[in-house]
Amino acid sequence: MATELRVVGTPARKVDAAKLVTGYGTFTDDFFLPGMLHAKILTSPHAHARITRIDTSRAADHPGVHAAISHHDVARIPYTSAGQSWPEPSPYDQYILDSKVRFVGDYVAVVAAETPEAAEDALGLIDVEYEVLPPVLDMHDSMRPGAPVIHDEPESHGMYDAERNVAAHIEVEVGAVADGVTEADTVVSEDYFVQYQQHTCLEPHVTIAWLDEDGRLVLRTSTQIPYHCRRMVAFALDIPVRDVHVIKPRVGGGFGNKQEVVTEPLAAVLAIKTRRPVKLEYTRRDEFTIARMRHPQHLTMTVGARRDGSITATHMKVLTNTGPYGTHALTVTGNTGSKPLPLYRSPNIRFEADIVYTNLPISGAFRGYGAPQGFFALESAIDEMALALGSDPLEFRRANHIRKGDTDPVSAALAEGSAKKPRVMRSNGLPECLERGSEAIGWTAKRRGGMPLRPNEGPLVRGLGMCCLMQGSGVAGDELAAASIKMNEDASFTLMLGSADIGTGSDTTLAQIAAEVLGVPLEKILVRSGDTDHVTFDYGAYASSTAYITGQSVLKAAEDARRQIVSVAGQMLQEDAEALLVADERVSSSSGKTVTLQEIVMECLYGEEKTLISGRGTHATKESPPPFVAMFVEVEVDIEMGTIRPIHLVTAIDIGKALNPAICEGQVEGAVTQSLGYALTEEIVLSPEGRVLNPTFMDYKILCAADMPKLTTILVEDPEPTGPFGAKSVAEVAINGPAPAIANAVHDAVGIRLRHLPMTPDKVLEALGRL
Amino acid sequence: MKPAPFTYYDPHTLDEALGLLAVHGDAAKILAGGQSLVPLLNMRLAAPDVIVDINRLPDLDFVTTDNGLRVGALARQAMVERDAAVRDVAPLVTEAIAWVGHRQIRNRGTLVGSLAHADPAAEMPLVFLALDGELHLRRTSGSRRVSAGDFFVHIMTTALDPEEIATEASLPPVPPGSGSAFLEVARRHGDFAVAAIAVVVTIEAGRIRRARVALGGVGPTPLRATRAEERLVDEEPTNELFVEAALAASHDCEPVTDIHGTAEYRRELVRTMVYRGLGRAVVRARTGAAG
Repeated sequence: MATELRVVGTPARKVDAAKLVTGYGTFTDDFFLPGMLHAKILTSPHAHARITRIDTSRAADHPGVHAAISHHDVARIPYTSAGQSWPEPSPYDQYILDSKVRFVGDYVAVVAAETPEAAEDALGLIDVEYEVLPPVLDMHDSMRPGAPVIHDEPESHGMYDAERNVAAHIEVEVGAVADGVTEADTVVSEDYFVQYQQHTCLEPHVTIAWLDEDGRLVLRTSTQIPYHCRRMVAFALDIPVRDVHVIKPRVGGGFGNKQEVVTEPLAAVLAIKTRRPVKLEYTRRDEFTIARMRHPQHLTMTVGARRDGSITATHMKVLTNTGPYGTHALTVTGNTGSKPLPLYRSPNIRFEADIVYTNLPISGAFRGYGAPQGFFALESAIDEMALALGSDPLEFRRANHIRKGDTDPVSAALAEGSAKKPRVMRSNGLPECLERGSEAIGWTAKRRGGMPLRPNEGPLVRGLGMCCLMQGSGVAGDELAAASIKMNEDASFTLMLGSADIGTGSDTTLAQIAAEVLGVPLEKILVRSGDTDHVTFDYGAYASSTAYITGQSVLKAAEDARRQIVSVAGQMLQEDAEALLVADERVSSSSGKTVTLQEIVMECLYGEEKTLISGRGTHATKESPPPFVAMFVEVEVDIEMGTIRPIHLVTAIDIGKALNPAICEGQVEGAVTQSLGYALTEEIVLSPEGRVLNPTFMDYKILCAADMPKLTTILVEDPEPTGPFGAKSVAEVAINGPAPAIANAVHDAVGIRLRHLPMTPDKVLEALGRL
Repeated sequence: MKPAPFTYYDPHTLDEALGLLAVHGDAAKILAGGQSLVPLLNMRLAAPDVIVDINRLPDLDFVTTDNGLRVGALARQAMVERDAAVRDVAPLVTEAIAWVGHRQIRNRGTLVGSLAHADPAAEMPLVFLALDGELHLRRTSGSRRVSAGDFFVHIMTTALDPEEIATEASLPPVPPGSGSAFLEVARRHGDFAVAAIAVVVTIEAGRIRRARVALGGVGPTPLRATRAEERLVDEEPTNELFVEAALAASHDCEPVTDIHGTAEYRRELVRTMVYRGLGRAVVRARTGAAG
């Protein structure tokens, strides 16, 4: 390998940039098949009800309608929509269509017609009678004795305790937290409340389903998980996996919402029934009501510490609202504890959680995957503890954070009795992140200290806050990726990937790895990805896995191809293959002999000893090295209006190696933007009956450009020995940050603690005692 | 979604347009900038049988500042925003108009259209109320002028009859010694106001001779805070006076709780913003600074 990197580490232009900016047939919906039908879904007006009678015959007779189906027309097979490795840890508690509805918006029936309008009109012709059941509309009521049982059907399975509406339950303890609390000189214990957040992907869920000329089901679909999708749809429809072909075109945002099979099963059923291509596309309203959300939680966070600043106890207790289905129920809340709790050294750590069903919108995977909730509680509590001990929050974090060489004690506890392995910190750039981040924000100079207003101070008060964050790089022990590379006649290479670039830039980053190893410029790598008929297996784009896991498989595949190239070159040059160098599209010896890749490929294909250059690499690992972040924010609080204006946000992030710095910065800025909304403005407002009241971009407040603070992103590179070129993940970790950093900054400015997200002006005024 | 079917007319003269309205009355809607109407059509919250597009009418895209301010029905908000002379004669308009939606919206949306739409949280109705503005209404059989105070009747309801077109909005010249201020709180840049206020004070010989305090987003129409105004008139402008007037203003409105803010929060905002607005307006009145 060349010692100096030529392609990796450069801000190379994205390989899909041209088609994205020209809009050329890029996304699922940019595709039309003759005879294609449009599907529309009839959804439940009730939070909890049994369908006592449903008749779709009038709808089926409506002009232009080809199918109108209800639960009578589909097999009753429990499945989960959570796109995870098999066997999915989420309960099998969903049905393509069911005789019971469990939230306002639940699927009741679906129609396929020649126009969207005809389909929409036909929905009004479906006769439904409901037996309305008492609903559970507050997660605190779910486990109460006598609460309505949301999953009383016998077929569903995998729930922790269906009778008590508990989808999943977690308890893990390292040491003994009770002793740790006793040993502490100071204990901080508070409750935190976090809300539903919607992913707001620009491209909604959309699937076009049809039967190909061999009668196989083709799904052109906006997904993060082409291979899981294929397996899960085959299961839900009870057809062989080989009869399903999933195509993932460009995707306009996933953020976890497309780590779900949501539109695919219905579209598939309709395509099979009508023998016509069927398109099912969610509207924006659907995204805000029947897609997925970030799990709301009630967290109780307790931290104990000695006067000397050492932490003796860390205890997190969580109640999670999974909505009516337990999609990602166990694993998201698992990460609420397992991602934040190892961040600070503590001999006694306890994490316990109940994930409960309600008749409210469906929670699911969302970038950060439970960690944003947990970090809000932990990093608020750590800040409070630092100040309670009379310590600077920066210094307190410096003294206590996990070190290189440490073992993650939570993963060790979770690993007991399983095949899993505890995480060891082989890289940790957090000290450098703290150093450079605090300098960029002006930490020492600008801290206000939460003091009362001085008489000559106006109503606008500024403060600084910070937090530290970590995540993982893939699901430890639960990842598999493969890549293959073939050499073409013009000495270019086709890189075939199972991974799903959902706008993250992974196709580009992975191509950079291949180009680097093969000694060619990026444009000589042709990327083919996201098609289960034509590319290798991959778990998909989630858990910040692609650069780290698939990246390693690309590295192996490229090295495999390079070995073959060098071997041919050795024969051509009459040199020892081991000593040859590949760079600048040629293979050279130290004695100055050289042969171009073009000459090599022609020799391979048409020379004396014919051979194909074809590399393959697979990668699986039990490692999941965390990227680290130190985040700093300056805010301005208007103590009379209650508004919080973020002024400057600094993210110093250790990602091991920036494979493409422009893409890394884009990931950080995107994560920060999404979570500034979570901190300040975004919330799903529900009616007392459980109906979403703000299902539009007008009323659901994602931040726009004019609302953004100045963003500074500092990329820190402490090489990760297990990652490709030293890289670990970048996509999620920063999303855990802004909420605790802003809450801590508000405290620094005006001395109040905000523990309910989003931090809206009325909450600020209330905390200030002004409302 | 797309709009329900409608018949589209694009008259080339005002008489032609008025004739269409005389025939279609209630069934017709006027399209100028379209920044409120077109979303309403697309969401099918409005489904008129007839759209009368007035964009081809001549001579309505004017902004004049010879004697107060006159704005024609086709003058875009951006045109008003960028007009330096407007800043001189009606600085409150310039200050407030930057809060209207986003730049793209102001490039198309018309000021008169915003008045005729009469969203209670919109900026321009509030400003025209504070500045004693007038609407010029035309119909086939004649014309009339309606003061802003009489024009705004209820939520998105005005004194405009179905056969009328608002051809112009005007403001009288501001007396010397006046200063004004506009404040707003919205959840995000470009959103409708959670609450907004506009104040105008005229100072003569050290006393407030005339005061206008107008409130937006806290009632079915923009409101005059009359008790606050009465408290201010003939008084010396002092901090204590502003505190009292602001408190009075917060009781001069009946805000409601909705998903963007509680009634209590809105009332508190009114108090804070009127207090701050009065301070700013008085400074501007004294220094003759813009605003």
